[in-house]
Amino acid sequence: MRSFLLRRVLLALATLWLASSLVFLFLLFLPGDPVQAILGLEASPAARQALERALGLDKPPWERYADWLTRTLRLDLGESIRYGKPVGELLEERLSLTLGLVLLGLGGALFLALPLALLALRFPFWDLALTGLMALLQSVPTFFLGVVLLYALAVHLPLFPASGFPGFSSPWEALRHLFLPALTLALSRAAILFRMARGSLLEVMGQDYIRTARAKGISEGWVLLKHALRPASLPLITVLGLEGGFLLTGAVVVEVVFALPGMGSLALTALEARDYPLLQGLVLVMAALIVLFNLLVDLLYGLLDPRVAYA
Amino acid sequence: MLLIGLGLGLAQPRGGELRVAILAEPPVLDPTASTSQEIPRMLYDNVLQGLVKFNEKGEIVPALAERWQGSPSSLTWTFHLRRGVRFHNGAPFTAEDVVFKFNRARDPRSGHTHPEYYQDIQTVEARDPYTVVFRLRQPNQDFLFNLARPDSVIGPKGRVEEQRTQPIGTGPFRFVAWERGVGVRLERFEGYYEPGLPYLDRVFFRFLPDPNAQLAALRAGDIQVIGLGVSPEAALVLQRDPNFKVVTGFTTTEITVGMNNGRPPFNDLRVRRAIQHAVDKKALVEGVMLGYGTPIGSHRSPGESCYEDLSGYYPYDPAKARALLQEAGYGPNNPLRFTFTLAAPYPYERRLGEAIAGQLSQIGIQARLEVVEWATWLSRVFRGADYQMTIIGHSEPHDIGIYANPNYYFRYDSPRFRELYTRYLRTPDPKRACEIMKEMQRLLAQDAVNLWVMNAPYIAAMRKEVVGWWQNQPTPSLNVTRVYLSR
Repeated sequence: MRSFLLRRVLLALATLWLASSLVFLFLLFLPGDPVQAILGLEASPAARQALERALGLDKPPWERYADWLTRTLRLDLGESIRYGKPVGELLEERLSLTLGLVLLGLGGALFLALPLALLALRFPFWDLALTGLMALLQSVPTFFLGVVLLYALAVHLPLFPASGFPGFSSPWEALRHLFLPALTLALSRAAILFRMARGSLLEVMGQDYIRTARAKGISEGWVLLKHALRPASLPLITVLGLEGGFLLTGAVVVEVVFALPGMGSLALTALEARDYPLLQGLVLVMAALIVLFNLLVDLLYGLLDPRVAYA
Repeated sequence: MLLIGLGLGLAQPRGGELRVAILAEPPVLDPTASTSQEIPRMLYDNVLQGLVKFNEKGEIVPALAERWQGSPSSLTWTFHLRRGVRFHNGAPFTAEDVVFKFNRARDPRSGHTHPEYYQDIQTVEARDPYTVVFRLRQPNQDFLFNLARPDSVIGPKGRVEEQRTQPIGTGPFRFVAWERGVGVRLERFEGYYEPGLPYLDRVFFRFLPDPNAQLAALRAGDIQVIGLGVSPEAALVLQRDPNFKVVTGFTTTEITVGMNNGRPPFNDLRVRRAIQHAVDKKALVEGVMLGYGTPIGSHRSPGESCYEDLSGYYPYDPAKARALLQEAGYGPNNPLRFTFTLAAPYPYERRLGEAIAGQLSQIGIQARLEVVEWATWLSRVFRGADYQMTIIGHSEPHDIGIYANPNYYFRYDSPRFRELYTRYLRTPDPKRACEIMKEMQRLLAQDAVNLWVMNAPYIAAMRKEVVGWWQNQPTPSLNVTRVYLSR
């Protein structure tokens, strides 16, 4: 177990280094100019040079890279070009919202997918209807789903706020603001989880031990819950491991539609403003989240499947 | 008189919070540190004021100066300051703040925006705490106009770095907070010098970059005003809804199809003139903008002083355009081809660009459309002049001077224009200067430097209880000094 964890941590660090270095490289090839974006159209050349010097953008790329690497190793993410604030501070403000959104979205997706998959297996009519609905949900782009929900449940039926986020100081208000965005994310991710769960449940239902259980005279519903659910959830966990990245990219879209001040919308701003330090900090944190998420999924796998041993 | 004044004061219900959506977040909150137009939109006259300011019609009226006079030679200007004014931090406003401000503004190394506005100031002195005297090197026709611009707002002396993120001024509202990526909060300044103003308790400018999100937020009541850039079709829908109203007026934005005069194909005057005749501006106003906007024919807007209407200078005439192209060596076997670069974030300009490309194709011109991000547009088109044709709105008021700069991205190099512009600046007599201003507009049209499509409309939408919103944008400013919520 210990050597497994050590290996995983080293791998995680390598992943993070590679991801953020790649971003650094991409940004070098991306046209664009953070300085002009800050000073505006009519800035004088003198003002431009002064700001470039102040931001360290006049140095050659390899020097900037070395600076960035040594700073990051000291856990200092530098200062945002656009906001003139420490990147760490900006991320801290935004992290809680995006994490809340992603966890609610993931929880919601599981909460929708598993019971519905069980329902589909138990009643053939539901099976057809649900499979069709999920296929539809899977093919609808997330932003479109978000706009539809926004107009349905915030504008026409003013049940929920249409945009923005008041902060976590009042949990009830925070939840009300997060409900629609999380629902959008949950619906868009539930489709794939539903199909996966349904498929693996079907496979498990053909196994010998299920026949044994049925032969004992246990009711069909109980067979599903007691004997089929746990082995059938293993492939689901594997898919879940891939969901981390999808959830974060989904969060970017959802945050833009609902004007939420999370990491996704910050990433978009950072890209548009060519805010290199901020963008690299964001990639670093997002990559770390995905790595951590995958590690948790692996550990969960071991809990559910007694045949897995960590070596 | 006093009774009438009191009566008016009582007619406007005081209090309440106004939530206004704007499309973009500025990089800083100081109009003397960045020329981003979003900064004055939120803060000009609401929080930060100068000696003089623009009113809703674009006239120059007193702000921190009660009165002023220029000497007959226009070389000495004396400003008498308003007494008893305080900054939001409690410090008294005196001539020293003015002197500090303009000494910084005219120093090209200070990083102040547009040092060229102030380069003719030789000295600025405080004669006493409430009198400031400017001495100019040479007459400058735009001196007073430049003092009314957002760049000329005055903060407490010695305060430069902090102004970028926590602006302190003398206006009716006090800056409270800038929530990064979310919005800017203001609240009523109790010590404001105009009695009874402002009416609102709090103002919240929210950044909502997506037009759909803006409309949804307006309908859901999250915001009460979309401050600018409402699409024409949304305006038509909201106009019919009894809960909302749409405010439209003029801006100082010239929507300009920029042509690179320094490289083929647009270094050929005949080709540039062919483009002018090939585009039907009236059809663009009607078809693309649903009737919002006014065709123009040079780099000046109808709401500005000394405007010369040149919108008919090149009448829509496809046959003439074809003939000009033939003269320049283009024809059916050798069609005119170029890349037309659109900037992603500006919806009006993008739609117009697509429609213009369609009109050009009617006479066999092949414009290849490419859409680039804003940051790319800035570095490639604006700084590098690495483009053939583009379209963008030039929103600064009174900015015809950009054509006197041969390195500007149009790459228009005209000694005659530069000479006219200098003469205009150095002419103290306003009447005479106006004549020269009109001559400059005509010269630009003659040279067909760019295709000036239209004066962009100002379209704002709001809930019907919002009263007193500015109808025009003579300068970028969502002025909320006299806005109130009717109960």
